[in-house]
Amino acid sequence: MSDSAEIISTPGADTISPESSPIKGLSERKQARRENWRLIRRRPAFIVGVLISVFWLVCAVLGDKITPHHPLDYRTTSHLSPRWSYPFGTDDTGRDVLSRVMAGARDVLIIAPPAALIGVLLGVIVGMLMGYLGGWTDTILGRIVEAFLALPVVLIGLLAITTLGRSNPVVIGVVAALFTPVVARTVRSAVLAERDLDYVTSARLRGESTPFVMFREVLPNVSAPIIVELTVRVGYAIFTVSTLSFLGAGPGRPSPDWGQQVSDNYNSIVAGYWWTTFFPAAAIASLVIAVNLIADSVQSVLEAS
Amino acid sequence: MRSFLLKRLASAIITLWLLASIVFLVVNVLPGNVGRKVLGPFAPESEVIKYNARLGTDRTLLAQYFTSIKRVFTLDFGTSYQFGTSVKGIIFPALLRSGKLALLAFVITIPISIAAGVYAARRQDKLSDRVIVNAGLASSSIPEFVTAAVLMSVFAVNFGIGEVYANPPAGTSLLGQLQYLMLPAMAMVVAYFGYIARMTRAGVIGALASDYARTATMKGMSKGQVMWRHVLRNALAPTITVISVQIGYLIGGIIGVEKVFNYAGLGSTMLTAVGSKDVPVLQGAVLLVGLVYMISTLLADLLIAYLNPRVRLETKR
Repeated sequence: MSDSAEIISTPGADTISPESSPIKGLSERKQARRENWRLIRRRPAFIVGVLISVFWLVCAVLGDKITPHHPLDYRTTSHLSPRWSYPFGTDDTGRDVLSRVMAGARDVLIIAPPAALIGVLLGVIVGMLMGYLGGWTDTILGRIVEAFLALPVVLIGLLAITTLGRSNPVVIGVVAALFTPVVARTVRSAVLAERDLDYVTSARLRGESTPFVMFREVLPNVSAPIIVELTVRVGYAIFTVSTLSFLGAGPGRPSPDWGQQVSDNYNSIVAGYWWTTFFPAAAIASLVIAVNLIADSVQSVLEAS
Repeated sequence: MRSFLLKRLASAIITLWLLASIVFLVVNVLPGNVGRKVLGPFAPESEVIKYNARLGTDRTLLAQYFTSIKRVFTLDFGTSYQFGTSVKGIIFPALLRSGKLALLAFVITIPISIAAGVYAARRQDKLSDRVIVNAGLASSSIPEFVTAAVLMSVFAVNFGIGEVYANPPAGTSLLGQLQYLMLPAMAMVVAYFGYIARMTRAGVIGALASDYARTATMKGMSKGQVMWRHVLRNALAPTITVISVQIGYLIGGIIGVEKVFNYAGLGSTMLTAVGSKDVPVLQGAVLLVGLVYMISTLLADLLIAYLNPRVRLETKR
């Protein structure tokens, strides 16, 4: 939806204090990392976020092994309202909504996290090039990034998936490609703050190659904003993937994918069958909020350190 | 100011050209037969040939590229594959309808969220601040179509407030249309409130801690005067940028809301186009949204330059 990069990038850039030079040794950095991790774990928002995420992760991995009914079993009466035996009711073809919601976690979790990860990896490479090399590379890539940001992710994603044909790798690739410019912008501003520090200059004077300085010297020092960006991107990826599913780029019937379920059932809200739409919609909301709670905790700790 | 404007315009034109190139690339990213990719492996060969001929994809890539660049600057997006009429005639009225919905959402969101942001900033770290920040974080992370579906089942179905179908009957007065557009607009408000409120809050907190705010307070200005004359002017710059950036995303998010409420805007047009593989309409819609985004960010930059002389003068140096 919105690019939080702007907010994250600026404070993220300050988090890398000048004294974290590589000469002071790895152990110090490791210790700081351990301390940060301890602070993150203590935040209640983080714990809540992890609990919800782990629940959906378990559902995604085990799928129909733990659902009360089979997610595709249509032998029950259709449109039963929520009751003890069917806590979320049944849908238009008599399938158990609870089982479908549980099984549907797999469809989104198989796409969104890999898409976010690939997007961040590509964004780090592009952002490092822009920030470290500067000059023409920065100007040209910066223009392209700006043009990408003018395109709403969902619209261009829809166009790309229509022309490429829908499959899981295509959705992953499209979402990753659309996230790359946003990540690149964040990484670029973090690298800019590092580029002229003494340790970079001395590495260059030592005669280290450009890739070495970029990835072995600068990269470890901009890891904090990158980690924040990764957690934020996972949230947006879930958001984007489920929106795309809802808009017709989902895996198709009878898949229990959440966005797909909302898309299949929202027309029957009018008839009073709210549960077939409400529960998958709530599932999407719970997962996105959970991931954002984690992201927010990671961000506040890393920015404060 | 004039050099600032010229510079900004030149960069907008370059971005527009890149935008058109990206959209062109998305359609042609994989080499090969566009018609075959769009229609799938089971479509008869004759259909594929027909599709390519109508789309013009049987011409050389370079010729196609020039056509698509020309289209952005002339605002002529070609012919719809599915209706055979001009794409322009389809997407412009649709954009106007979406614009109406977006405008209503913005008119509600902006004052509420800026007020909430200022309020939260003045009560920093108190309970009301925490509530606003966390509610904003949660609400802006839920996809718009989810909010729309929930609002619909709660209000339209259970309480009979608002309408399930957002298309007002022909001839409904502007005020009468509000009844229809209220719920979909509320779904957008929920999505955008949090982001603008948090941005405003951060800006105001920063500006309140500044030297000029302290000086103004020390020379005896009242809290309200400091807020109006010094803090808001500076604090709102990032907020204005965010609002203008949001206009593009707003149109992205509006698609889901339009689908839930069966509203005949740009979103529905795009979804029909997806269903019938109408690539020219999709391309046109994406470009048009990009164009709207560019204009809104341009206006935002001008507004910021107007509010803050430092921005204007910086470009002169």
